[in-house]
Amino acid sequence: MELFLQQVFNGIMFGSTYAIVALGLTLVMGILNIPNFAHGHLYMLGGYITFFFIGTLGLGFWPSLVLTLIVLGLLGVLMERIVYRPLTDQPHINAFIAAIGALIFLESLALVVWGPQGLRIPNPYPQNFELLGITIGLQRLLVIIGAITLIFGLHVFMKHTILGTTIEAVAQNREGAMLNGINVNRVSAVTFAISSATAAVAASFLSPIFMLSPSMGAILGMKAFIIVILGGMGSIPGAILGGYILGVIEALGGGYISAAYKDVFAFGALIIILTVKPTGIFGKKEA
Amino acid sequence: MITKPIHTRLMYLALFIAALLLPLYVPDDYIFQIVIMSVLYAIATSAMNLIIGFTGQASLAHGAFFGIGAYGVAILTKAGISFWVALPVSALIAALVGVLVGIPALRTRGHYFAIVTLCFGVIMWILAGNWIELTGGHNGIFGIPQPTPVRLPWLGEIEFFSQTAQYYLALGFLLLTLFGLHRLIFSVFGLTFMAIRNNEPLADAVGINTFTTKLIAFVSANFIAALAGGLYASMIGAVSPSAASHMLTFNFLIFVILGGIATLSGAVIGAFAIPIIMEFLQFLGDYRMLFFGALLVVVIIFFPQGLVGGLRRLNQRIAVWRQNKVSE
Amino acid sequence: MKKMKQVALRLLLVLSALSMVCTGAWAAEAVIGFTGPLSGPGAGYGRDNLNGLKMAADDINKAGGITVKGKKYTLKIESYDDMIDPTAAVNNARRLRSRSGARVIYNPVFNTIAPLMQINEQRGSDFLLMAYSSTPKIEAIKNDTTVSIPPPFTAYVQAFSDIAWEKGWRKAAMVVTLGAYGDEWREAFKHYWTKKGGEIVADKPANYYTDTDFSAQLSAALAANPEFLLIGGPSEPTGLVIEQARNLGFKGGFMLVDQAKMDYIADVVFKGDLSTMKDVIGIVRVLNLPSQVIADFTKRYEETYKVHVTFEAALNYSSLFAVAKAMEAAGTVSDPKAIKAAISKVLPQSGDTVPTPYQGILFQKLLVEGSVGVIADGKYQKNYQYIWWAKDENAFNKIKEKMVTSPNVEIRWMPVEGYLQQ
Repeated sequence: MELFLQQVFNGIMFGSTYAIVALGLTLVMGILNIPNFAHGHLYMLGGYITFFFIGTLGLGFWPSLVLTLIVLGLLGVLMERIVYRPLTDQPHINAFIAAIGALIFLESLALVVWGPQGLRIPNPYPQNFELLGITIGLQRLLVIIGAITLIFGLHVFMKHTILGTTIEAVAQNREGAMLNGINVNRVSAVTFAISSATAAVAASFLSPIFMLSPSMGAILGMKAFIIVILGGMGSIPGAILGGYILGVIEALGGGYISAAYKDVFAFGALIIILTVKPTGIFGKKEA
Repeated sequence: MITKPIHTRLMYLALFIAALLLPLYVPDDYIFQIVIMSVLYAIATSAMNLIIGFTGQASLAHGAFFGIGAYGVAILTKAGISFWVALPVSALIAALVGVLVGIPALRTRGHYFAIVTLCFGVIMWILAGNWIELTGGHNGIFGIPQPTPVRLPWLGEIEFFSQTAQYYLALGFLLLTLFGLHRLIFSVFGLTFMAIRNNEPLADAVGINTFTTKLIAFVSANFIAALAGGLYASMIGAVSPSAASHMLTFNFLIFVILGGIATLSGAVIGAFAIPIIMEFLQFLGDYRMLFFGALLVVVIIFFPQGLVGGLRRLNQRIAVWRQNKVSE
Repeated sequence: MKKMKQVALRLLLVLSALSMVCTGAWAAEAVIGFTGPLSGPGAGYGRDNLNGLKMAADDINKAGGITVKGKKYTLKIESYDDMIDPTAAVNNARRLRSRSGARVIYNPVFNTIAPLMQINEQRGSDFLLMAYSSTPKIEAIKNDTTVSIPPPFTAYVQAFSDIAWEKGWRKAAMVVTLGAYGDEWREAFKHYWTKKGGEIVADKPANYYTDTDFSAQLSAALAANPEFLLIGGPSEPTGLVIEQARNLGFKGGFMLVDQAKMDYIADVVFKGDLSTMKDVIGIVRVLNLPSQVIADFTKRYEETYKVHVTFEAALNYSSLFAVAKAMEAAGTVSDPKAIKAAISKVLPQSGDTVPTPYQGILFQKLLVEGSVGVIADGKYQKNYQYIWWAKDENAFNKIKEKMVTSPNVEIRWMPVEGYLQQ
């Protein structure tokens, strides 16, 4: 029983990360219809920027988190402006290729700047405590709390601020929003900023317990993509639920059945769900 | 059907002759190796073009089917079966798997189809690395025999050890593939592919069985990809999970899009141009991939129709310029 | 047209005359090729290998290069990235062979070694393949122009198991990396440990290259109450596994597969503090071997490349010295078969010149002892050097006589099947 709880706790912690990373991606995919396959690499970059602030400049954990968030937000805007905006009227597959180009660029950048060795950041909260017979690291708990806070904050932003509702308006009807005088380009930029900033927060929270490497974003990015599709493109509850489902499936499958095949369970589940519901769990019916 | 102007035909003829005579003027083993690999990639890329470019379904499982062909040939030839039997059998297995995957997967559309096929691709890649009894695990299968020698009536026995023989073998398959795809795409049946790409509901409305048509395109593409994979296995002599990975799919995708989507020549041009550019960039050392990533973004922004599109645009500009000159 | 031809011909003559003069007066270059992962997940490992070669070439050149049949040569390392892709590795090898004239090419990953072994014997484009891989699978492929560099990992499996057994450890759980190497290690360890009478209570492999959290596997493995954990993959994540296992309350010992380096984990991950590692068996920390050459090598290596020294670097370094000497002995820099045949004549190497002296060559395997280090109660203990190729006591004693001895090192005999000679 303790083992089961331990695995579920791990799964929830992972699910929290997946949920916030997927959340950022679903905004970009649902609202701008851009398959930003480089999203995981923004997360990776967030980890390295956090390392730069904590490890190189010697700042504290919380100021570094805020600074990373700002830097990545700006980078997101930059990326939208340089890479994706010129491709607005092109087929999606072209944006996908651009995304592959961007992710190759980001991964090589990290390799050139920080080298191939895994890097560590000192853990600000290394304490452990026992609860119900399972060991819980404080930083791990912080990841979960941070994710939930972020999700809640984003919800308030989307529903109760003018900018947030504008974004939703664009998501629902791009042309209509333009006719009503909404500056779609500005909305794109803001959405990208939010999307990369959330990825950065996930990276900042996790980097003290994990290890940074240039290729750490590839798998996470792919999983985020899968979660977005699983939940239904553009669906925020879909991304959150999908993230937690994937986290728990992985932890239980990896712990109990086979670590080698744990991704097979997760990806296989997606194929099965989509063959039953071709537009994802919370997906809109096709227009 | 569109007939090509005479100078275009002459150009193709010249290219064909140049390809046939290549072993006579290729400067060294290194260039020859790149050319052979590009011919193989051109086969797989052309097949991907059929499903993505002409039918409009972004299948991201292409590398997995290439891998099924590669592993099929590796396992069967290691078991003592002749290459000439192993190759078509592996391709048929890939086609069968294609049917099994295609039936559920093709119910989804757009990004959803892309992700379902990507998931399948990743699963096959994981299987290749972990089903040790069948695939040799991450070490893969090595010491795969060369294609069995063929006895021809006039030429005597042909062996496939030298680069020259491997080149002609690959080239033969590429020409066969291009010929087959040309016949298919410019037939009435081929037009239904493009009808689905351009407007699926409309195609459905005029009585095309869109599902079956998509399935046929998907399965044909997988069959050809597996042929390319099988050839790859016997030529490289060793397969490991990298021969079935999604990274391979992304490479093919880059070849198709940067070469020129939905044109027969585009896929071939892409399969030659990109690997050659990659080799050319080796002098950049650590900065090579950094540069390549940026290059990819720039090219896709400025040449959204790929290299073929760029050439066509250039051609049109010249035509306009000449017309202006005449009218002056 | 005719005139141009004449001019060209003359130019050619002048150039060739010039080059002949040059080669007489100046040293010519012998190119040593390297293809391996320099980007992507294996980049750190690939660079360790390459750095060792670069440093060896520098040192050989500084000492005046090599002299082959009276002619001076300097060594030049030329390297290309293959990202562990067989196609790229073959391309690189072809390029190194036909463009740069390399007759000796290094590669450090079995997935790319296997396809290279298909082309390195082709007439007119043959090269000596220096394969850095510890899998015995290499020995299964018949090839006349391949040399494999490190000890077989099976030697470490046996040596580590023996020490663990002496310490009284019996119940093992495995959380080893996935991948070809990890799969083989697990298989070999399972076989050897159970044959010895030990018990394996859990086998929960994890992907050390892509995962960053191992708590799922570790919780499952620790639930079976093992006395020690067999762990390892690349060094950095292995350090993370140790930390996470301790955080989950594990008090027992660790056995590190030979890819994970005790040096790196102790000095870089835990910054020299051994209290978290506490009880560990693994490949020796290079600096703990009592040798002035090693101390000097380590210092210069870390100053030059700004990374921690590893066994990969040291073994590659020593191997290039053997190749260079073999070129001199064979009287050729361009005949791979002759160079390979001459390697046996220039061994054993002396411990005064290279950090990891090779004792000999057996078919295609270079022979060097497996060095094991032990940490107990948070302190470094005595080290062990295992001779794994000696067929019997006599052969072992003969080898032992030639080795440098020290109270800090115990030399032991540990025959490994498939590698025995008189």
